[in-house]
Amino acid sequence: METSRKKRKVLVDGPISPQFVADSIAKHQSQTGIGAHAIFLGQIRADQKEDGLVSGIEYTAYEEMANEAFYSIREAAFGKFELTCLHIYHSLGLVPVGEISLFVFVSSTHRRAAFEASEFIVEEIKANVPIFAKELVGAGGGFHWKENK
Amino acid sequence: MLIMEITVRYYGMLAEITGQSAENLAFAENMSVGKFREEILSRYPGMTGKKFKVAVNLQIADDDIFIESGCEIALLPPFAGG
Repeated sequence: METSRKKRKVLVDGPISPQFVADSIAKHQSQTGIGAHAIFLGQIRADQKEDGLVSGIEYTAYEEMANEAFYSIREAAFGKFELTCLHIYHSLGLVPVGEISLFVFVSSTHRRAAFEASEFIVEEIKANVPIFAKELVGAGGGFHWKENK
Repeated sequence: MLIMEITVRYYGMLAEITGQSAENLAFAENMSVGKFREEILSRYPGMTGKKFKVAVNLQIADDDIFIESGCEIALLPPFAGG
């Protein structure tokens, strides 16, 4: 059973690659007590704004507080659900449309915990982590500050 | 006599309004977060009407929390992670 206590690196520079996701899955093959993985990927969407199409998002964060928040979310998830393993990665810097900015990877013995924990974790991240997103629009350097609903 | 010296960090559009990501500020007295909000608004009127939370030493703080010398304050616009 993986300890939740070690502080993990969550914030990564740039987009999260599909290869990284695949490698993460492969790394868990040896954990033969795992019966289910739930994977959430947040991808940058080309939303239509008044002044053009979103071309990417530039992420910044209050890093010290964000890391504390990720740690609390992790602890809460391990406390609330029977999990074997949990990994969270969130991008900083520019993530172009179509690329991945959030990777939540939850593993458990049975599927119910994995399904429910992944939803819990994503909602907690959106509500409680001080990450800020500048949506870049069109070719002229325009942008909007994004707000989670 | 200036007795409350704090570090203030700005994020998102608030950093654009202040033109910086952080600064050290000094005040004549300790004050509540509510009073600090007023002080910041008078210093940066461009923040009027902008929604933000105030963190004191990495914790979101209500207006009645008191700030002391040495505290790290952060002005946090709405979150957009995930």
